[in-house]
Amino acid sequence: MKVSREWLNEWIPNEVPVNALAEKITRGGIEVDEIIDYTSGVKNLVVGYVKTVTQHPEADRLRICQVDTGEETHQIICGAPNVKADSYVVVCKVGGRLPGGIKIKRAKLRGEVSEGMICSLEELGIKEDQVPAEYQNGIFMFQEERTPGEDALAALLLDDQVMEFDLTPNRKDALSMAGAAYETRALFGGEVEVPAHEVADGSETAGLEIRNEDDEAVPFYGARIVQGVTIAPSPTWMQMRLIKAGVRPINNVVDISNYALLEFGQPLHMFDRDQIGSDEIVTRYARDDEKMTTLDGKERTLESGDIVITNGSEPIALAGVMGGEFSEVTDQTTTVVIESAVFDPVSIRKTSGRLNLRSEASSRFEKGVSHEFVLKALDRAALLLEQYAGGTVASSLISAGELDVRDTEISITRAFINDHLGMELSTEEIQDTLSKLGLDTKVENDALLVSIPSRRDDLKIKQDITEEVARIYGYDALPSSMPRAGTTSGKLTDEQKKTRIVRHQLESLGLSQTINYALTSRGKADQFNELEGTVELLMPMSEDHAVLRKSMIPHLVDNVVYNRNRQQKDVQFYEIGRIFKSNGTGALPEEREMLAGIITGEMNRTDWLGTKVPADFFAAKGIVESVLEKLGLRDSVRYEQSSRFDALHPGRSADVLLDNERIGFIGELHPKYAQQNDLDRTAVFEVDLARLLSVKQGNIIYDQLSRYPSITRDIALVVEETVAADTLVRTVETAATKHLVDVFVFDVYEGDNMEAGKKSVGLRLTYLNKEDTLTDEEIEKQHTPVLEALESNGAQIR
Amino acid sequence: MMDTVGITDVRKSFDDEIANVSSVDELQQLKVAFLGKKGKVTGLMKSMKDLSKEERPEYGAKVNEVRTHITEAIDNRSKVLEEAALEAKLREDTIDVTLPGRTFTLGSPHPLSRTVEDIEDFFLGLGYEIAEGYEVETDYYNFEALNLPKSHPARDMQDTFYISEETLLRTHTSPVQARTMESRKGQGPVKIICPGKVYRRDSDDATHSHQFTQIEGLVVDRGIHMSDLKGTLELFAREIFGAEREIRLRPSYFPFTEPSVEVDISCFKCKGAGCNVCKGTGWIEILGAGMVHPNVLEMAGFDPEIYSGFAFGMGPDRIAMLKYGIEDIRHFYTNDLRFINQFKATEDGGVTNESI
Repeated sequence: MKVSREWLNEWIPNEVPVNALAEKITRGGIEVDEIIDYTSGVKNLVVGYVKTVTQHPEADRLRICQVDTGEETHQIICGAPNVKADSYVVVCKVGGRLPGGIKIKRAKLRGEVSEGMICSLEELGIKEDQVPAEYQNGIFMFQEERTPGEDALAALLLDDQVMEFDLTPNRKDALSMAGAAYETRALFGGEVEVPAHEVADGSETAGLEIRNEDDEAVPFYGARIVQGVTIAPSPTWMQMRLIKAGVRPINNVVDISNYALLEFGQPLHMFDRDQIGSDEIVTRYARDDEKMTTLDGKERTLESGDIVITNGSEPIALAGVMGGEFSEVTDQTTTVVIESAVFDPVSIRKTSGRLNLRSEASSRFEKGVSHEFVLKALDRAALLLEQYAGGTVASSLISAGELDVRDTEISITRAFINDHLGMELSTEEIQDTLSKLGLDTKVENDALLVSIPSRRDDLKIKQDITEEVARIYGYDALPSSMPRAGTTSGKLTDEQKKTRIVRHQLESLGLSQTINYALTSRGKADQFNELEGTVELLMPMSEDHAVLRKSMIPHLVDNVVYNRNRQQKDVQFYEIGRIFKSNGTGALPEEREMLAGIITGEMNRTDWLGTKVPADFFAAKGIVESVLEKLGLRDSVRYEQSSRFDALHPGRSADVLLDNERIGFIGELHPKYAQQNDLDRTAVFEVDLARLLSVKQGNIIYDQLSRYPSITRDIALVVEETVAADTLVRTVETAATKHLVDVFVFDVYEGDNMEAGKKSVGLRLTYLNKEDTLTDEEIEKQHTPVLEALESNGAQIR
Repeated sequence: MMDTVGITDVRKSFDDEIANVSSVDELQQLKVAFLGKKGKVTGLMKSMKDLSKEERPEYGAKVNEVRTHITEAIDNRSKVLEEAALEAKLREDTIDVTLPGRTFTLGSPHPLSRTVEDIEDFFLGLGYEIAEGYEVETDYYNFEALNLPKSHPARDMQDTFYISEETLLRTHTSPVQARTMESRKGQGPVKIICPGKVYRRDSDDATHSHQFTQIEGLVVDRGIHMSDLKGTLELFAREIFGAEREIRLRPSYFPFTEPSVEVDISCFKCKGAGCNVCKGTGWIEILGAGMVHPNVLEMAGFDPEIYSGFAFGMGPDRIAMLKYGIEDIRHFYTNDLRFINQFKATEDGGVTNESI
C-alpha cells in the first residue's frame, strides 16, 4: 500500500515531518519500506501555457512552441508528438533540474533557440507503467485550465512524499486511506475526516434485480445505477493520486472505481448497464468447466469453487478477480452499474491464485472486506460519477443478502492484559490506549468490554486486544524480566554430546565440516546406497533438487571436485546429516542421521620432509576406527570385504558391521567412477551415526593395574593370500581361553621369496595374568592350542 | 743422590705429548703409553728394584706423584675432549627451527555449526533443552498445529516443498515445538530451543536459499509474561552480540504468536551510529518472536487459561552473514575449503567477549 502524505493529510491533518511519521508508523507495527520523495532533485518547474506550435524548419520531428510561463513567453523546442497549442503543460525552465541529475540549459536545436523543456511524466520520476495511455511517448497536459507560472509540482500534487507500507497479513485494515488515517490517529491523535459520500437516491431498483444463489459464496451484493455518464479522462488530481498509489489512470469511470477502492479498501466493479444483456444480476458458484472471457480477452475455464456474477444465464464477471469482456465499460458506455459486494475470501484466493490474477481487488477480497465500508464506497463512487463523469444516480441501493455492520464485543480484564504483558497498566491507561484506535470500552465489574468496529474485524480474541494495547502503548515501555519457570536441567542429551565430540574429533583428524543440500537429483539419489523408496517432491524447482538424498557421498564427491578445480589437491571433508527413505506416499519417511566422509590427495603432508599419509582405504578406515574408539565401540565393530556399489573399488571396499548388523561402508572410489569425476584415488565412508550413538555404554569401569609383567609371543604364519587378517585374529582369540589380552597383526608380506598365492603374516600375542607371574608352562598351555588352531585352519607356522 | 732424571723426563715427555692430543682416541693411546702395563710410568716402577731399600720409598713417592699428575691430566683432558665432541655433535644436530613442523592437518567446523553451537550453549546455560525433530513433516505439525489452517495465505504452494498432500519439507523448526509440547501432555515447564535445517520453495541467489538453518525457542509454563521474552532476548543480545547491545521490539505478525514482534538489536558494527551492516538505521532485524497463540497451546494440549508462553526464532545463516560480512548465502552450501577454513580459530568473541 502506497500512502501519499498529501492525500493522508486530507483524511487527518498532521504536520509531523514524513521521516518521523514513517518511523512512528513503523514502530507501531506497519513497516514503512520506502519513502518516495517526488520533490527530490527537482527545481524550477512551472505550469506553462502553449500559445502556438509550429513545425521546426530543419527537423521533421521537432516543433517550435511559444510557451507562456507566467512572467514571459519562451520559445521551447519540443519533440513530443502530442504537443498542441492551447494546452497547459509542465515546463522546466532554464536553470532547472529534473530527477536523475538532469540540468536544463538554454540551447540551440538545429538552429532554433530553446529556453526550457516541456516535460513528460516519466521525466518527473513517474514509472512508465503508471503513465496514462494518452501521455505515453509524449508530454503531460493538464486536464483543466491552470495559471501559467504557478508551481507545477504543487499543481500536479507531486509536492509530496509517498510512504510504501509493507503490511503483515493481519493488517488488512490498513489497505486503504481510511485505514492509514485511523492508524495515524492511533499514533498521533486527531480526528479522521471521511470524504463526502451522500447521494440522492434515484427510483428504487431502476429495473434491475439482484439474487445470490449461495449465501456463503456471496453474503452480500449491493449495486447502484448511474446514468448519463460521459467517458473522459479523470481530473488531474485524481489521476495523480492514482499514479502515486501505483495505479495507472484509464478513464473517469474506471479511475473512480479505483479511487474509491483506495479510499475505503472496498473493491468495486463497474458494468456497462446496457451490455449486461438482462435485467437481473445473479451470483453463484461456477460450474465445472464453465467458460468465460475476461476483460483481458482471455477465455477462462472455471471450476466449481469459483464465484461468478451472471446476467441470469452467463457470467459477466469473475467475482472479485476480473470483469467479463462483454459487460465492461467502454468509451460508448452511458449507464453504469456499480457493484460493491462481499465475497467468500477463501474462494477468491483460490481463484486468483489458480488463474494467477492477483490484483488490488482480489488481494483485498481474499483477506475479507470491512462491512462498514461496503456501502460508503459504493455511494462515494456514485457521488464521484456525478461530479466527474456527468452522471446522475438513477437507483436507490439495490442489494441482496445481509450486511452486518454491528460492532462485535470482546470481554477482557485488566489483570489478563497485565499478566500477559508483565506490565501494570491502570484501567484508564488501557481504555485511553484503545480509544486512540477507535475502540470504545465499557467497564463492567472486573471486565472491560471492548467494542470492535467491522474495519477491525481482525481483532477476535483477548490476545488481539493485548497486542493492540502493547503496540500503541509502545513496547519500549515493556519491562524486562526473566521467566520464573520451573527448574529445568538444561543439558545436552547423550546423543547431542557425542555428536559434538565426534565433530571435534574429525576436525582434529584433519577433516573439515560440510553442509550440503538434502535435495538432490534422481541419479545421485541412487548412488552409494541400496535403499528402496526415494522421497520425491511433488513439484520440484529443478532436476538437480527433485528428490531427497539417500546417501551423502554424491554431494561430497561434488564438493571435492569443486575444490580440486580450485587448486586444492588435498581435500578431506566430513558431514553429519540426514538421509531419507520413503515409507510410501503420505507416510513420513525414515530419516537417518549419518556420518559421511571423503578424503583425497595426501593427509598430514610435510613436503620438505617428504612425509605424508596417503588418503586411501586404510586412512578412511583409521578415521572411522578412531571415532569408534572414542565412542567405545571399536571392539563391537567388524569389517567385511564388500562390492555392493558400482561406484566403489570392488577390491577396496568394506562393509562396517556393528554387532553383526551392517551400519555402513568404507571404500575407495572405483577408478572408473573417479576418472569420470576427474579425481584420482579418493576414499569415502558413510556410517549410520544414529545407530552408533544409540549404543548405551554405561560407566567406565576402572581396572586395577597389574603388578605382574605381561609376556608377548610372536607367530609367523604363511597362509593363502585370500585369508583375511581378521579371520586369523579371531581364530587366535577363540583358541586361547585364558590370559590372552591382545592380538594384533604386526606384519604382512607378499612377493619375493613367497610362493605365489601365499602371504606371510606376523601376529603378536600378549599374555598376562593379573594375579600372578606367568610361567612358561602356563603360557604354553594357552599358546599350543592357538598354534594348533591356526594350523588346522590351513596356516603354516614358520 | 738417587737418580730421578728418568722420572723428570717421563713427566716432561708426557706434558709435551698431551699438549698435542686432539681426540679421545689419541688420549687413550697416550694413557696406554704411560700408564699401561708396558707404559713409561710402569717402566719407572720396574727400575725401582735397582735402588737401595732406603731410596725406594722416596723414589716410589716421586713416581706416584708423576702417575697422579698423568692420571689427573688425562682425566681433565678427557673431560675437555668429551665436551668438545658433544659440542661438535650438537652443532652437527642443529636444525633450522623456522622450518615448518610436521603437519597434523586440522579441519575446520562449518561456520553455521559454530554459530548454532554458540547459541545453543547460551540457552543451555539458562536451562533450556535442545529438541530436534523431523525434516520431513506432516501438514498438521508444520501448519495446522501452529494456527495455520488450510486456507491461510502463508501456506501457498510456492512457499513449501510438498511431497504429498499431507507431507512436506518443514518450512520452519516450529513443528518440533508442537511435537515437544504435545509429548508433555499439558504439563509445564517446557523450555526448549530447536535448531535445524528448514526448506522453502525459493530460487537460490545471494540472499535466498531453498535450504537454510533456523533456531527457535519456546518457553511454556504458568505465569510467563511478554516481559520475560524481552528480558531473555535482551540477555541473549548482550551475551551473543556484545555487552552494549540494546534490543527493541516492533509489532509484527506471525500466525502462531499473539502478540507478535520483530526484534531488532542495535548494530554491533557501528554501535548504533549507522553503517552498511544496519543500512544506516543503527538497528538490525534479527529475530521474530511473540507470546504463543492460545490456539497453538490448546492444540498441543495446554490449557491457555492456565499456561502461557513465549517463542522466538532466528536464522543462523543471517546471523553469520551479518557477523562475518559474508556476501552470498550460497557460500554456506558450496563447501569451498577456502571459505570453511576461515572458521577454524576457537575464540571469536571480539574484545567484549561476546560469543558470536
